[in-house]
Amino acid sequence: MPSASDTVSTTDRRSRGSVALKAVGLLVLAAAVLSFPSVAANPFILSVGVVIMSYAVLATSWNFVGGFTGYISLGHAAYSGLGGYATGLLVIHTGVNPWLGMLLAGLAVAVLAVPIGIASLRVRGASFVIVSIALVLILLLVFQSWGSFTGGSNGLRVPRPFGPEVLRPEQHERFFYLHAALLAVALLTWWLIDRSRFGMGLKAIREDEDKAQALGVPTFTYKLIAFVVSAFFTALGGGLYALWFGFLDPIFQFSILVGSYMVLMSLLGGIRSLFGPFLGAVIVGYAVEYFKNQYGDTQFHLVAMGLLLGLVVLFMPDGIIPAATNLVDRFRPQKTSIREVTQAELAEQRRTAGPEAAQADQQARTDDGTDIPTSDSTVTEGARS
Amino acid sequence: MSLLLQSLVLGVLLGGLYALLAAGLTLYFGVMRVVMIAHSAFLILAAYLAWWFTSETGLDPLLSLVLTVPLFFAMGVLMQRVLISRLRPATLTMMSVLLTFSIALVIEGMLGFAFSGTQRRIRLDYGGANFEVFGANVAVVKLIAFALAVVSLAALFLLMKKTQFGQALRATIQHPEAARLIGINTERVAGYGFGLGLATAAIGGTALALDSTFYPSLHWHWIGPLMAIIVVGGLGSIPGAAIAAMVLGMGQALLQIPLGTTWAQTFFYIALFATLMVRPQGFFGGRLAQRF
Repeated sequence: MPSASDTVSTTDRRSRGSVALKAVGLLVLAAAVLSFPSVAANPFILSVGVVIMSYAVLATSWNFVGGFTGYISLGHAAYSGLGGYATGLLVIHTGVNPWLGMLLAGLAVAVLAVPIGIASLRVRGASFVIVSIALVLILLLVFQSWGSFTGGSNGLRVPRPFGPEVLRPEQHERFFYLHAALLAVALLTWWLIDRSRFGMGLKAIREDEDKAQALGVPTFTYKLIAFVVSAFFTALGGGLYALWFGFLDPIFQFSILVGSYMVLMSLLGGIRSLFGPFLGAVIVGYAVEYFKNQYGDTQFHLVAMGLLLGLVVLFMPDGIIPAATNLVDRFRPQKTSIREVTQAELAEQRRTAGPEAAQADQQARTDDGTDIPTSDSTVTEGARS
Repeated sequence: MSLLLQSLVLGVLLGGLYALLAAGLTLYFGVMRVVMIAHSAFLILAAYLAWWFTSETGLDPLLSLVLTVPLFFAMGVLMQRVLISRLRPATLTMMSVLLTFSIALVIEGMLGFAFSGTQRRIRLDYGGANFEVFGANVAVVKLIAFALAVVSLAALFLLMKKTQFGQALRATIQHPEAARLIGINTERVAGYGFGLGLATAAIGGTALALDSTFYPSLHWHWIGPLMAIIVVGGLGSIPGAAIAAMVLGMGQALLQIPLGTTWAQTFFYIALFATLMVRPQGFFGGRLAQRF
């Protein structure tokens, strides 16, 4: 049996190794993303790359709410659409610098998200989803009917931020890097929150909101902050997309389908992982563009999208990254420190293990010196034996 | 004055249909804590089936109910058994939303695939018939749709209150563990509850097909108002849903006079936001909604 000091040193060594591995992985990823425009065969491929990066920004922004708190919003298209329209309208009516306009639009949407969040986060789960859907539908109605201000169903033409001397391929390249930069900022923010006390509170809400509240986590405030941050980044993503694409149509901006893309991407990649939404965006974004290119914009992609979402929800609700990590972890020595286990997994373990196994497990852990009290009864039993 | 009366009558007629559909949504939420996004997609599916039935056989679309109601009931039971019950209990509410959402997308896509995206309408001999009550014009088809909704709601009410199955269903809604303890097979009852909910979509869809034009993506226009209704009524309360449906349906019809049809739609969403701000558990639901 290894002593406690042994365990610590191996864990230490392993973590140092994994940090180095992570750094290398990050460098490779960054290099791959940054070199894409020079590798892309033609402007069309490059534009697909921009679309995928835009999806990645949106999905990562969505994940501030979905991943941390477990509240699934199907209506995040509302914030990307609002961000796009606000950016476009600001540039058109006030003539403000487009990038400043984008930032202002993001802030405005964040302010707007406060009352929406207050209304929708008051009741658990179900109401939140309902409000998120309702919001997209209401905005679609408003932006279609209010023709004099938003351009209505005819759409809104957004002036380009770069002059006419910048040609189309060049535009794509610049916007690709801009999207990548925004994605990097969003990922960094997610990572910082993930490691903070605030992030810990949010994850506690995801696993068990009642217990989190009982332990003193200000659940409502935390949820609201995560929600507003998410809306802010989503709006920035929408604004950047509007500046690139140069044209906004309410049907596509306030579409439930766009919101569900964000959910599907994040879920497919893994909502608990930093790069999950990015990975999902690459897969789903590529698939969507491929389908549109091959089969046109038919009803078929609705069916494919629906089936894919259904399959992910039924068979892989944790996503690709956790599944792959589990596979890799199987070949590693068992971890002995505190693990991150979901409530569902814990319940499952207890059910299969039964009381005797739980007791034996407890005993083993006590010997290891890494005692985690699982419940009151097992602790007292362990002490008695 | 007659315009006002006209709107009121229209509101009541529309409210009846809303009430029936909202009752279905409430059933799903009651038995499984599931927010069923696909409800209105099934509504449109039923409308398409009624249209297809009429154009193939030349019979009255109301007769298609004989086929669609049992079919939808079976589909509901199957859906609960095969799909919904597979989800993990800890994340059921959220994941079931996504699952039913994906079902809605598949239905919409398949409808577009099979019947194309063009707008459809059933031509009826009595389609243009109407009569006057105190100066208000009432179309016969709207009245039939309303009667259908009221009869189904009454049947549902009797089923819930008077039969043993209804008692078991209500017990399952109120407290699943306790219901299991006294020997109710809650799994099976939940399946049947789901089937009943989907059957309301079959009836509602046929009623809808009588007097309106429909197309595959129409279900998005229905799901929003229906969701608003069940939240205002209090998630899980069938009488609450029915009352909220009537009130909101009438409100929409009345607001159409000064605002026009498009802006009157926003009434539902404003009511939804107001309810969540003032009384998040809804006006009639109480306990159930607050816990979830």
